[in-house]
Amino acid sequence: MHLNEEQLILHHYHDDDAPAAAEQHLAACAECRAQYELLRGVLAIVSEAPVPERGEEYGAEVWNRLRWKLGRQPRVRRAVWIPALASAAVLAIVFMAGVFWHSRTAPQTVAPLTASHTTSSAATQVAETSQNTPAQGDRFLVLVVSDHLDSTERMLLEVANADPKKSLDTSSRQKRAEELVASNRIYRQTASQRGDARIASVLSDIEPVLLELSHAGNNLSSEELSALQKRIESRGLLFKVRVVSAKTGETEIPPMSKGTNSL
Amino acid sequence: MSDAAAVSRARTGDADAFRLLVERHSPMIFRVAWRMTGNEHDADDVVQEAFLRAYRQIDAFEERANFSTWLHRIAVNCALDLLRARKRADSHYGGDPEAAELIGVLPGSEAQQDRLLLSSEMKDAVAAAMERLSGNERTAFMLRHFEGMPVEEIGKTLGIQVNAAKHTIFRAVRKLRESLEPLVRTTPCT
Repeated sequence: MHLNEEQLILHHYHDDDAPAAAEQHLAACAECRAQYELLRGVLAIVSEAPVPERGEEYGAEVWNRLRWKLGRQPRVRRAVWIPALASAAVLAIVFMAGVFWHSRTAPQTVAPLTASHTTSSAATQVAETSQNTPAQGDRFLVLVVSDHLDSTERMLLEVANADPKKSLDTSSRQKRAEELVASNRIYRQTASQRGDARIASVLSDIEPVLLELSHAGNNLSSEELSALQKRIESRGLLFKVRVVSAKTGETEIPPMSKGTNSL
Repeated sequence: MSDAAAVSRARTGDADAFRLLVERHSPMIFRVAWRMTGNEHDADDVVQEAFLRAYRQIDAFEERANFSTWLHRIAVNCALDLLRARKRADSHYGGDPEAAELIGVLPGSEAQQDRLLLSSEMKDAVAAAMERLSGNERTAFMLRHFEGMPVEEIGKTLGIQVNAAKHTIFRAVRKLRESLEPLVRTTPCT
């Protein structure tokens, strides 16, 4: 009786209950031995498949993107990629959670929300309630904008660091850019409504660049890329994003709830 | 400076010491992340997140342990979190991962054929073969094959029974064999 494929896989990974018996069979059976060699060959190809190249400067690049974040005090925050996956619906949930938190801490100033509230009305309500209690309103905005700025900065860095002599494949960035534009609009409007000119101004500056990336299709030509890089540089967008992001990171932020810390 | 010395200094707030750890281990973490996610951008995100978590948890690191192993485990967890988040987002926002997976496994899918026709390089063949795997199949296979994680732990990680985890790995290997075995038949084993 031959060893089937599953038994061969188990044997390869040392997961079989009777490895000695399998070895004996393989030694005696040319057919099974051939199958086993094919399996090992396939898995060897997978093991040897090259990983995309990263230059010698990769470690330094990682550090440059990371270092300004390390100055912040450790705090409860969401994973950095979640904003890239977020949509307006997620923003609504975050805002609703913020309003809920606020309603528990300041029940005398907040009217209860109904299930029919939309994202914008929830954001508006945050703005309205924050006029009564600005410090708490600040915290809601800071919490969500901080992660948004992280994602935006990474996107801008990718464009700013791309080789201007070559075209840039934007196919994988387009969806992220669209999501960032949607998030950016909501944050900008909310910041304006509650009079936070500093955040509103930066969000207003970065929105055209995000829009351009979201409309770029699958490719930015060398000329388009170069123009976008000049725009990022001339307006000091990366610097502005970092400054605001660093300032939001310094703000004390209340924990959202248990389980949001993915550390 | 050794990793252990750098960790000790990083704990006291020495940014240069943590920088050394970042620069030293980033390529290794990128390789782990890329194998887990199969996507360069995601892998870069995982590298960032892994070092952020390491920085925040550095007081919890036991000095007797190996920093590289500890960091490696953090990176695997970051990659798993990313894959889970993506799965939830796809499911929540109307994406149909099952359909996407089905398209991916169709042997005659144009993208896959094109890739193989356009490139004779082995890496493209492996990349195309990996694309045929569903999310769970890829994760289970990567954890077993590259990380050496026991099947029981893979089951816990994916939230499935041990037997289901085992069969997920079987399916992954079967798909890889279907795609790559022709290459093995014409390539001497190393």
